[in-house]
Amino acid sequence: MMAVEWRDFFIHLMNIFNMIIVAYFFLANGGYTILMGLSLGSLLIYNRRLAYQGLEELRDSVVTPPVTVIMPAYNEQEVIVESVRSVLRTDYPYLEVVVVDDGSSDDSLNRLIAAYQLVKMDLIYRPRLVTEAVRGFYLNPAIPNLLVISKENGGKFDALNVGINACRTPYFCTLDADCILERDALLRLMRPIKRDPLNIVASGGIVRILNGCEVKDGQVVSVGLPDTALERFQVVEYLRGFLFGRTGWDILHGTLIVSGAFAVFHRETVIEAGGFHETTVSEDMELIVRLHRWARENERRIKMKFISDPVCWTEAPANRKNLAAQRRRWHLGLYQTLWLNSDMLFSRKFGRIGWLSYPFQLYVEAFGAPVEFLGYIMIPLALLLGIVPPSLFLLFVLLALAYGSFLSVGSVLMEELTYRRYPRYRDLLILLGYALLENVGYRQLVVWYRVQGFWRFLTGFQKWEMVTHGGAGG
Amino acid sequence: MPIPILIEHVITFVIVVLVVVLVLTFGFVAAAILRRRRRDRYFERLDDLRQQVFPLVGGLVEGTVDADKAFAALRDLSIKSDPAMFEQLVVERLPAPDKLPALSKLCDDLGLIKRWQQRLGGLADSRGLSALFVRVFRFGYLQRARAAQSLVAIRHRGSWPLLVKALQDAHPDVREVALRGLGTLAEPESLPALVECLQRVILQPATPGLSFRTVKAAIVNFPLSSAAELAPVLKHQHRRVRFLTTDVIREMVEKAAASEYGFTLSEKNFSAELMELFLNNLSYDENPDVRARAAPVIAYMRDIRAVPVLLALLEDPEWFVRLHTVRAMAKPKFETQLPEIARRLADPRWMVREAAVRTLQAFGAEGTALLYDYFLSSEDRYSREQIADEWQRAGLIPSLLAQYAAGRDGRERRVIEQLAHMGKTSYLVGLLLGTQDAGVRRKFLEDFGRHADGQIQAWVSHLAAHEADPEVRALAQARRAELAQAKRSR
Repeated sequence: MMAVEWRDFFIHLMNIFNMIIVAYFFLANGGYTILMGLSLGSLLIYNRRLAYQGLEELRDSVVTPPVTVIMPAYNEQEVIVESVRSVLRTDYPYLEVVVVDDGSSDDSLNRLIAAYQLVKMDLIYRPRLVTEAVRGFYLNPAIPNLLVISKENGGKFDALNVGINACRTPYFCTLDADCILERDALLRLMRPIKRDPLNIVASGGIVRILNGCEVKDGQVVSVGLPDTALERFQVVEYLRGFLFGRTGWDILHGTLIVSGAFAVFHRETVIEAGGFHETTVSEDMELIVRLHRWARENERRIKMKFISDPVCWTEAPANRKNLAAQRRRWHLGLYQTLWLNSDMLFSRKFGRIGWLSYPFQLYVEAFGAPVEFLGYIMIPLALLLGIVPPSLFLLFVLLALAYGSFLSVGSVLMEELTYRRYPRYRDLLILLGYALLENVGYRQLVVWYRVQGFWRFLTGFQKWEMVTHGGAGG
Repeated sequence: MPIPILIEHVITFVIVVLVVVLVLTFGFVAAAILRRRRRDRYFERLDDLRQQVFPLVGGLVEGTVDADKAFAALRDLSIKSDPAMFEQLVVERLPAPDKLPALSKLCDDLGLIKRWQQRLGGLADSRGLSALFVRVFRFGYLQRARAAQSLVAIRHRGSWPLLVKALQDAHPDVREVALRGLGTLAEPESLPALVECLQRVILQPATPGLSFRTVKAAIVNFPLSSAAELAPVLKHQHRRVRFLTTDVIREMVEKAAASEYGFTLSEKNFSAELMELFLNNLSYDENPDVRARAAPVIAYMRDIRAVPVLLALLEDPEWFVRLHTVRAMAKPKFETQLPEIARRLADPRWMVREAAVRTLQAFGAEGTALLYDYFLSSEDRYSREQIADEWQRAGLIPSLLAQYAAGRDGRERRVIEQLAHMGKTSYLVGLLLGTQDAGVRRKFLEDFGRHADGQIQAWVSHLAAHEADPEVRALAQARRAELAQAKRSR
C-alpha cells in the first residue's frame, strides 16, 4: 500500500516537473522568437541606414571624443603583439592604447618590449580605483599613444581598473588581448555616442570568431570557417547570441550584457560607479548591471547601446576543455551577478530592466540550463514509467530539436540578409548545416557545462577559469 | 462545463507547432540560399556597371574624354540600368575637391540632382509595390537621408536651403544628415539656422537626432570669419549656452590655427565685437567653464589687453580655468611670461602642474632650463615628480644623459642626482645598459656608482659581471665592493 502511495506521489511530481519543462520550453523559445523577429526588422533597416552613416565626418571631425583602448593581458604571449598591432592600426583620430600585463608568468611583457622597443619608466600612478601594485610602466617616446603597464596579478577586473586609472580620455574601450579589431570598428562603435543627445555610458559591438580566418599585419584579410565541428558550432552560436540576442534587447532598451571583450565605456561614469568589481567572475555583466543601478539611484539618464556593425574578432575555444572552462565561467558569472542584484527582479524602480531583461536572464538564461538538464533525465524517465505516451515523447523531442534549429537557422539567415561576412557559398551551406545540427550533441554539451557553472555557484566557487589561446588566424 | 485537455489534443497541438516550425526552418534555409544567389548576381551586375560608369564619369570630370560621346553613353547607361545602382556608382568614387564642381554639374546634367532634391523634399519618385511599402511602413526617411547624403557628397551648394528645411524633418536620421551636410557645405547663409539649432540642442538636450556634438561639428566647419554670427548667443542669459557657444568658437579658432603657421586673431579674421566680448565679458564670466574656454581664444589675440587677461586667468580660483590657460600659453609670443607660467608648476592640482611642464617644454631650451632650475631648487616633491614624469614621457632622458656625458656645466649631473634620489632611474639605467659608449658608463659609475638607488646598484652588479671594457668592469667591481662594505658596516 505504502509503495503505491509513493509511486503516485512520484508520478505526480514527475507530472509537475514535466509541466515546468514544457512551460520553460514555450517561454524560452517564445522569448527568443520575439527577439529574433524584432532583431530581423531592426537589422534590415539598420543595414540600409549605414549608407549615410557619415564615418568620414566622424573620422575628420574635431569633436570626435578621444578614446583609450585598455587591453588586459595574462599569459597571452602567442597573440599579444599581433593584437596590439591591430589596435594601433585602428582607424580612429584620437586613440591611446594601454596594455595591462596582469603579472603574466609567460613572455608576454618581454615580447611587447621587444616588438615595440619599449623602455621602462618611473611614471606617476594616481589610482582613483584601488588596485594591486603596479610594477612598471613601459613606453616608447616614438609611439606616444602606447603605454604598457606591468602589475601584480590581480585578475582581469583589477587589470581593467589599472587601465582606467591610467586612462586620460573621456571614453575607454575594453578589448581582450586575443582580439583583432577591424580597422573602423572603433569609429563605428563611437558613432552613437557622438550622435545621441543622451549620455551613452556603454556601447558594445559584435564579437565574431577568428578561428578559420586569415590574419595579416594585425588585420583579418580573409574570413572563413574553422575546421572543427566544435568551433563551427560556436560560430552559429555567436551569430545567434549577438545578431538577435543583443540586438533584440537593444531595441527593447533592456541591455543587460555588453561583451567586455569589445565595448566602449564613459570613464567618469564607470569610476563613479566604482569601476570593475571582483565580486563576480564576469566583470563586464556585473558592471553593466551596476551602472543601471547607479543611474537609477543617482537619477541619471543614461543609455547603453549594442551595435551590430563594429566587429571584433576573437579566438574561440578549439577544444572541449577550454570550451568547458569558458562556459562554466560565463554561467557562474551570470548566476553571481543575478544573485547580487536580486532586488531588481520585478522592481518598478528598474523599469524594463526589472520587468523584462532581469526576469529573462534569470528564468530563461540562468535557470534554463538546470531545467533543460533535468528534462533530459526526467522526460525519458517519464516515458519509461509510462507517464508520457511514446508518441508524445517523440513529438516533443522532435519539436525541441526543430525549434532550436529554427532559431539557429534564423540567425544564419539574419547574417545573410545583413552583413554576409562569410563570402564563400560553401561556407553558407556549412553554416546552415551546423545550424540545423547544433541541437543534437553540441547543445547538450553546452548545457552540461552550464550546469557545472550552476553547481559551482551553489558551492561558492569563485575562481576565474583560464582559457588558453593558441593564436587562431595565424 | 470546461472541455478536458486530452492527450490527443496535446499531440495535435505539438504536431501543428512542429509542422509550422519545420516549414519555417526550411523556408529560412531556402531564403538564405536564394538571398545569397540574388546578392551574388546583384554584385556581378554592379561590378559590370561599375566598369562602364567609372571610366566615363572619371573622364568627364577630368576632361580627358570626348565630352559629348561620353555623356551620351552615360545617359544611355542611366536609362538602361537600375537607377539606385547607377546613382550609387556616380557618387561612389569622389574626385579631388577641385573637380567636385565638375561632378556636380555632371549629376545636374544627368537629372540626378533634381531627383535627389525631390526625394529630399519628400516627393517619392518610385512607383509600384516598393513605393507602397515605403509609404505603409514610413521608410521614406531612408530615401530622404540618402538623397541628402548624395547632394552633400558632390558638394552641391545650391541645395543648402533644402538641407536647412530638412532640419525640421520628422525623422532624426534626415535631420542628422542634413546637419552634417550643412557643415560640409559651410554655406555662410545657412549658419543662422545652425546657430538656432545650437541653442535648441543646448536648451532642449533630448532633441532626437541632434546632439550638441553633431551641431558643433557642423558649425566648426565654417570659416572663422563667420563666427561673428555667434556673437549674440555669447550674450545669452543661460550660462550653458554661453559656455558651449564659447567652446564652439574655441574649436573654430583652434582649427584655423592648425592650418596656418603663426596664426593670430585680429580684426581681419575675428570681428571687433567678438574680440571685445572675449576680452571684457567672457574672460570674467561667472561661469568658470566659459572662462576656461575663452582663454585659448584670447591666447591667439594680437591685442595688448590679452596678456593681462591671461595672467589673471592663470590665477583663477577654478583649477580647470588655470589648466586651459596654461595650455593655451604654449606659444612663442608668451616667452616673456615664462616665470608666471612656471609658477603653475607648484599648482595644487596635478593636471595643472602637468600642463605647466608641457607648456614650458614647448618653449625649447629656455623652458627646459627653467624646468631644470625649478627641478633642482624646488622643495615641492609633487612638482618634481611631475617634471620627471614629463621628461620621461617626452623622451628627454636620452638628451639629458648625452649632455651629462658631454660634461656640461654640471647642472645635468645634479638633475640626474635628483632623479636617482627620487628613484626615477629606470629609463636612465635602461639607456646605460644599451649604450655602446664605455665612456658614459665610466663617468656614470664614477659619479653615481655608490648611489643607494636599487636600479643603479643592479646596474653596477651587471657591469661588474658582464662589462666588456676591463677598466669599467674593474671600476664596477670596486664600486660593488664598496657598496657591500657600506652595507655590512650599516
